[in-house]
Amino acid sequence: MDILIPNSWLKEFLETNATPKNIARFLSLSGPSVEKISKDGDDSIYHTEITTNRVDAVSVYGFAREASAILPRFGKKAKLLPLKFKSKYNFFDKVDYLDVEVDSKLCTRFTAVLINDVKIKDSPQFIKEKLIKIELRPINNIIDISNYIMHELGQPLHTFDYDKIKGSKMILRESKKGEKITTLDNKTFTLPGGDIVIEDGEKRLIDLCGIMGGKNSMVDKNTKNVLLFVQTYNPVKIRKTSMTLAQKSEASILFEKDLDEELVSTAMKRSIDLFEKITEGKSENLILDIYPNPYKIKSVKTNLSFINKSLGENLNKEDISNSLTPLGFKSKWQKDNLTLEVPSFRAKDIDIPEDIVEEVARIYGYYNLQSKLMKGRLPEKLFNSPFDFENKLKDVLSGFGGVEIYTYSLVPETFIENSALKLKNPLGKDTEYLRNTMLSSIKDAAIKNSGYEEPFHIFEIANIYIPQKQNLPNEKMMLAGIFSKYDFSKAKGTIEALLEKIKKDYSFEIEEKKEFLPNHRLKIMNGKNEIGEFGTLEKNDLIYYEFDIRLLQKLGNKLKGFKNPPKYPAQIEDLTFSFPERTKIGKVIDSIKNLDKQIAKIELIDTFKNSFTFRIWYQNPNKTLTNKDVESIRKKVISNLSSKFGANIK
Amino acid sequence: MREEIISLKNEAIAQIMETSSISELENLRIIYSGRNGKLTSLIKKLKEFPKDKRKQVGILINETKNSLNQIISSQKNKLSSSSRKWFDPTIPGIKPKLGNLHLVTKAIREISLIFEKIGFVRVRYPEVEWGYFAFEALNMPKTHPARDEWETFFVDSKLNSKFGQTVLTPHTSSGQVREMLRVKTPPIRMINIAKCYRRQSDVSHTQMFHQFEGLVIDKDISIINLKGTLDYFAKNFFGNKRKTRLRPYDFRFTEPSFEVDISCDICNGKGCKLCKEGWLELGGAGMVHPNVLKAGKIDPKKYSGFAFGWGVERTYMMKSGIKIPDIRFLYSSDLNILKQY
Repeated sequence: MDILIPNSWLKEFLETNATPKNIARFLSLSGPSVEKISKDGDDSIYHTEITTNRVDAVSVYGFAREASAILPRFGKKAKLLPLKFKSKYNFFDKVDYLDVEVDSKLCTRFTAVLINDVKIKDSPQFIKEKLIKIELRPINNIIDISNYIMHELGQPLHTFDYDKIKGSKMILRESKKGEKITTLDNKTFTLPGGDIVIEDGEKRLIDLCGIMGGKNSMVDKNTKNVLLFVQTYNPVKIRKTSMTLAQKSEASILFEKDLDEELVSTAMKRSIDLFEKITEGKSENLILDIYPNPYKIKSVKTNLSFINKSLGENLNKEDISNSLTPLGFKSKWQKDNLTLEVPSFRAKDIDIPEDIVEEVARIYGYYNLQSKLMKGRLPEKLFNSPFDFENKLKDVLSGFGGVEIYTYSLVPETFIENSALKLKNPLGKDTEYLRNTMLSSIKDAAIKNSGYEEPFHIFEIANIYIPQKQNLPNEKMMLAGIFSKYDFSKAKGTIEALLEKIKKDYSFEIEEKKEFLPNHRLKIMNGKNEIGEFGTLEKNDLIYYEFDIRLLQKLGNKLKGFKNPPKYPAQIEDLTFSFPERTKIGKVIDSIKNLDKQIAKIELIDTFKNSFTFRIWYQNPNKTLTNKDVESIRKKVISNLSSKFGANIK
Repeated sequence: MREEIISLKNEAIAQIMETSSISELENLRIIYSGRNGKLTSLIKKLKEFPKDKRKQVGILINETKNSLNQIISSQKNKLSSSSRKWFDPTIPGIKPKLGNLHLVTKAIREISLIFEKIGFVRVRYPEVEWGYFAFEALNMPKTHPARDEWETFFVDSKLNSKFGQTVLTPHTSSGQVREMLRVKTPPIRMINIAKCYRRQSDVSHTQMFHQFEGLVIDKDISIINLKGTLDYFAKNFFGNKRKTRLRPYDFRFTEPSFEVDISCDICNGKGCKLCKEGWLELGGAGMVHPNVLKAGKIDPKKYSGFAFGWGVERTYMMKSGIKIPDIRFLYSSDLNILKQY
């Protein structure tokens, strides 16, 4: 929650020798965070951010209270000045000017008072000036007082034109689904039900409580008698209404943070004083106050050793009490056990010993605490962690010239296959689904780079999300990539080299699939398991590949124990064959490999039209092969290729 | 003796100048100054000389040896330069294709390495997550307004009776309770780095981003250990001169909660346009709330811990001063941008 606090206004409640710069710096270290100071003439305005648990500090007075606790730790004098009230006030649960029925589950404290004979006009200068400093536009004295009090104390108030409340009667209840109300900004809402509303003696809805007043009961320029209205509401109900109707106001934001019921009477008294002073109205003697469960002092217990253990320090009881007292807490020690009485304005925030530790620590100063790494046993490492493997893949591919990309897992409908998970509240059509394939994302990235002048290779490691019944989706980590303007064999060689680098066995099988050119796609196999695919896409001259990384990591390793390096040298020779058209050279090579155990290795080293030159390594582990030995193997190769593939040796 | 040395020198020079190949030259070197060469054997004879002359002769032999070596190498140069072909070493090299890792990968590696050195175990938990782990288990009941701050994406699917809605995890903190349930008995030192999602997109936000979450649980873990860990990280990641500080903050799943700042490197903490009074906001941290420990089936009476969770992209940008004007560029796949980093 953000709030602007003018220094001049703060000084009405805080006596201090701290400069605005001091205040901003020291409070930021120990309490509300002052993001910046702006100047308004001689005045400084603190732009302050207050965390949602500290609604008690979202006001000039609350800020002053924090300052009074924090500044002395920095050697500055600071004293919180009490709020002053003019006269005596009588709170009573029945008054003759208003007949009410209140559901106290919805409204924990209900106060109202009738102010007679008000004069509606401009506010006096001192109010206008302050409102302008906090970037509010002065409107008239009635509205300005509401804003003024809300800013000063953090308690919203509301005003009705008393004469518009039919039968001087109010019933505060839950709305029924479909009920309608027109609010004072002229918007009509059909209520979802369960909202806090007030109906009058003629069963008209006159207030959408905590959000905005009804138009039919609003104060206007002819208003004579004002019903001043200060409440605390069930925060969950307010929040629900505010969210479903998408209506947020400063008041609703405060109400949904669960306000302090004790602050209601303070705000009521302040408001009456201001109304009498500024509108010349006269307040009724009795203030209506329905407060069935008044605040009973809450205590939280802890002990000295717990506090010190949590802080890693060695504070004494006095240090601790001195931190807590200026914040409104009362500490009672019994030996080393502490019973802490919590003031009403912190009752909803302080529940457990850890909360006390926080208060002590921040006032003592986090900057005063030591800094030490923990000792103790180390946890066990994950066995077979996926991260090392993924890093290895990335290193190899980028080493081979690949550029790693990150694309969004949220994709448009055109990017998915079959059924994919859909978002309930996407930011737009482009990011409506969780992808269940990498292909579309990588293809899209490649096409976006089609202006790139050189051939390129991009890749990504990321999850795809496969829906599963009654469970979270299966998040499958994939490696996917595209070669653009690459020669097929160069691209394929990169993938082969990757698999060799990570020591995996692999083979290829032709298999057709949608989106790939016919006869241009290969399944990548590890034994009988398919681990990935590789092939040319139909459009844009792109070659795509992908792997299921977990499968890849798990499957067949090439490392099969130590093998002695060959004792006897290999005989190496190049053989060139011409083949009929449409011969699959991959099959030829497989065939040569399987022909004789003494063929240790074969590589394709050159091609020209229909001619292919193979380099063959002949090797026997037990002896050096003679020319005669080699000749007999060569003959086998030649006759095999001739009979099986119709090849001619050149 | 003196004459003997000088005539040996002259003889050697004459022969060296006449050589026409490098092997010939090498032979001469061995004959004269090799291990059993003529000069070397002279040195061995030195002992036979009277002491007063020994020094003088020694110096002479050494000088001779040095000058012969010089002549040999200049002759060697002459011989090889005559056989030298025209060669231009200024010609540019042919580079292999330069690949590149994404900035986010580089950042994640650096971050995890730093934490792994002090015993943190890297893990990863679901990106599509139960509302339970993202919120309830983290002490955020269904109606709590704190939930609003996460700008959460919801998946269009059936409610699970036990775990509630399916969400895209808005923070890596969802992994806290999962890690507790996995490890069961502390110690825990977790570094969870994963994709997160929030409903926001502008120059400094992308709907998908990365966070790293630290979680430490053990006996006697206190705020000073959190400070120690943050300082260790800041010094290793940002440099020795950087300092961190804690400010009070509010998260439902930690108590106390902090906002962590790091001293600004532009002004060295004096205060400048880019920082707030010399400090930059790094992110949130805090001591694990006892309710969160309970949700992870860890006894808060026995164990305590701390946690922090920060944006990878944001933290990395603060380190290197890589001034990317729009963070969405990181996810644009534009090679002209990606290849710069």
